[in-house]
Amino acid sequence: MSTVLDIQHLSVAYNRKGFALEDVSMQVPQGGIVALLGANGAGKSTLIRAVTGLLDLHHGQISGGQVHMLGQLVSGMPAHRLVRMGMGQVPEGRLVFKQLSVEDNLLVGAAVLPRSQIKDGLDAVYHLFPRLLERRSQAAGWMSGGEQQMLALGRAMISKPKLLLVDELSLGLAPLIVIEIYKQLRVIGETLGTAMLVVEQNANLALSFAQSAYLLQQGRVVLSGSAQEVAASPEMKPSYLGEDKTVKGTA
Amino acid sequence: MFEQVFFSGLALGSIYGLVALGFAVIFKATDVFNFAQGMFVVCGAYFAVTAMSILQLPFHLAILFIVGGAALLGVLIHMVLIQPLSGRPMLSVIMLTIALSIALRSFIEIVFGPQGRSLTTPLPTGVLMLGSVRISYLHLTAALVSWVCMAGFGLFFRFTSVGLLMRASADNHEAAVVSGVNVNTMNRLAWAIGCALAAVGGLFLGQLQIASTELEGIGLLALPAVVIGGMQSIPGAIVGGLLVGIIEQMASTYISPKSSDVVIYVLLLLILLVRPWGLFGQRELGRV
Amino acid sequence: MAKTVNTPQSNRAWLWLVLWGAVLAYLPTVMTERALFGIPLTNTQLLNLGLTQINLMLISMLGALSLNYLTGCAGLISIGHAAFFATGAMATAIFDNQLGLPFPLVLLAAALAGALVGTLAGLPSLRVRGLYFVLSTLAVHYVVTYVFLEYQFKYFDVVGIPYATPRIGSFEINTPVRWYVLLLPLVILVFMGLRASLKSREGRAMLAMRDHELAATAMGVDVRFLRLKAFGLSSAIASLAGALFAYYLSNVTSEAFNINFAIQFIAMIIIGGMGSLSGSLVGAAIWLLLPSIIGGLSPDSGSNNEFLNKLLVENRAQLVQLIFSLLVIVFLIFAPGGVAGLSIRLKNRWTAWRNAA
Repeated sequence: MSTVLDIQHLSVAYNRKGFALEDVSMQVPQGGIVALLGANGAGKSTLIRAVTGLLDLHHGQISGGQVHMLGQLVSGMPAHRLVRMGMGQVPEGRLVFKQLSVEDNLLVGAAVLPRSQIKDGLDAVYHLFPRLLERRSQAAGWMSGGEQQMLALGRAMISKPKLLLVDELSLGLAPLIVIEIYKQLRVIGETLGTAMLVVEQNANLALSFAQSAYLLQQGRVVLSGSAQEVAASPEMKPSYLGEDKTVKGTA
Repeated sequence: MFEQVFFSGLALGSIYGLVALGFAVIFKATDVFNFAQGMFVVCGAYFAVTAMSILQLPFHLAILFIVGGAALLGVLIHMVLIQPLSGRPMLSVIMLTIALSIALRSFIEIVFGPQGRSLTTPLPTGVLMLGSVRISYLHLTAALVSWVCMAGFGLFFRFTSVGLLMRASADNHEAAVVSGVNVNTMNRLAWAIGCALAAVGGLFLGQLQIASTELEGIGLLALPAVVIGGMQSIPGAIVGGLLVGIIEQMASTYISPKSSDVVIYVLLLLILLVRPWGLFGQRELGRV
Repeated sequence: MAKTVNTPQSNRAWLWLVLWGAVLAYLPTVMTERALFGIPLTNTQLLNLGLTQINLMLISMLGALSLNYLTGCAGLISIGHAAFFATGAMATAIFDNQLGLPFPLVLLAAALAGALVGTLAGLPSLRVRGLYFVLSTLAVHYVVTYVFLEYQFKYFDVVGIPYATPRIGSFEINTPVRWYVLLLPLVILVFMGLRASLKSREGRAMLAMRDHELAATAMGVDVRFLRLKAFGLSSAIASLAGALFAYYLSNVTSEAFNINFAIQFIAMIIIGGMGSLSGSLVGAAIWLLLPSIIGGLSPDSGSNNEFLNKLLVENRAQLVQLIFSLLVIVFLIFAPGGVAGLSIRLKNRWTAWRNAA
């Protein structure tokens, strides 16, 4: 399959807030890096939740359309199964296990691996993020935001997923750290060939990192194409500058 | 005399610690304050009665029956009652476990009759003399088994990968889900363990006293035990149980038999006012 | 000041009031003569009820109302409600048996004692919240019932404290009808009083506090004071109910005020609907009807079936408990708004249906 992730005409509604996504279609090709752009409330996180099986947790449902990963129908599957099928998830908010040590955090992610591969998996992550190795026995709750983000990423990567979904990596982090992390993401993409769908509010950063991009506005795809095409298009200017007057919360 | 009271308190406290541990596991995993924990103890005692007197199983099979039955009960309760109520306000969940305890109690009384049943097992009876202190073998066995169970659980929780996954689920539900952990399974496991531990306590208490629904009151002492020790702390629950056992025996002997409950709850009140997160718990940000 | 208009809605409300008033006023006659407008009714038709149970129901209505006010309206979860009943019973023993005060004053004293104990019991809410507060109410329960126990053993009998027949002046309240005449207006008064309190500015501040404490504080509501007041009022009513309970049963022991007693009230307000005062009345009524309905089933079962016999006769109390607790569970899972919530849903559907037609 040349498409790792295939979203077809996806519509999502929340229990009390009405429609959040309408007829959204997008693809992530093998080894591709796709950026998902849009202002606050445009529906980016909703899309990620719909793909990763976390909609339930946030009181939403898929009301139409389908999601396929590597040819298999995955829409509606519970999140933990998707992880086992090769979908690495790094949701917004970093979500580390605060009371567990760094190494324990990684081991949780490694639980889907056969025992023999766990050590190698750990080594690979420490190689990628040496700072985590320094702090391997520290409780994750005490680390800085950037280190926690690396940890969340490492935990998702340890099982060598075929698709990685990252939601708002840069939120609350210092720019230098963000750049460092994106550098590592690129390394991951190049060495492992992991396909990625990255939600990023910082459009500039996202477009310099990704190969192609989609722009969401009020739950719909309004722009798509290669990163350069999207960066050059006139619609990007207002979103990029945050001047979009029609930005609203869902419904 | 004092040593006597102290040792009985320690022995009983070990059993309370076991029940309190079960309670803490359930609370840590699913955030449910299980008021039915006392009835789980009673269920354990009656599982024992069923296994020994009614089914006449050999003892090792009876143990399997008791532990397995209790684990199954815990899983069923989570599937049918707790899971549907996840995310609901606290009073609903509290009331659910209270209603559950009443339902269990009346069911048991209908099936077995309201009077208690005596429980005989091949567990050693008889008395050991340590100087001037009389310790019954039963108390000793109960304490020993409780400690083995508690230690066993501790090792499981700390050092196995399933234990790690349970700790992760308790730490952050959503993070566990995105890491590929089947949190529902972990929660069911927590309830199975919580119920099974209480049932073992019931086996001993049923033989030390009598298998009856009155044991619920004793099982409920796990609540103040856990709070005094620290609600989010596993070792805290165990220490809390020991303390409650000792205090109960002391109050019973030196003040009056009826006063033991009150003394423990007054202590609970004091802890709530002075140090609500318990002796071993960690202060949480903001008021609880 | 708006002018009162004779809207069809207010006319309908008056109609309901008159209807209910008639039913309630005629009820004692039905119960005593076991006949409706002269037509005799069988026991089954009367649901096996008598005025005695109706009176007990009225007393429990006071308990349910006060608990709902505290928990459903002020948002303070309490499982120590039995303690305040005990307070009332103890106050009655002190002020009547020991000090010989007249009945109305004893009731007043009981209410005041309840208010005092209630305010004290509410103090932990200033320090802890949520689960920890619930535990503090549990602790209060044990402390108060212990005090009652010791008091009972010291000044009276192990079997219980005997209470004299209450009387107002020389008028003795010694028949079910007279109790009914005393209790019914009392319940109605308390209901209307609590209703009015909820509609007042302070009452609405309390509801706001329940729903969103932070927002309420930001609006200048003194949540701590409101909480203590709610506790005090609720406990005063419960204590009053406890005093009436003691007089009604004429002998009460500390065992009567165990945790199960408190739990019954929580069950009532859950079934009735938390936060709904009228729901509490329904919940208390259901609690009363259930044992009678089940009791009514047993003679009809013909006692040929040994299993049914065991269920309905030997272990009737347990069966009632079982059904009641299962009912609570069903309500909690499927109808969290209780009977009140269900009736609102039904009413909405009815209006929607009517509007569509």
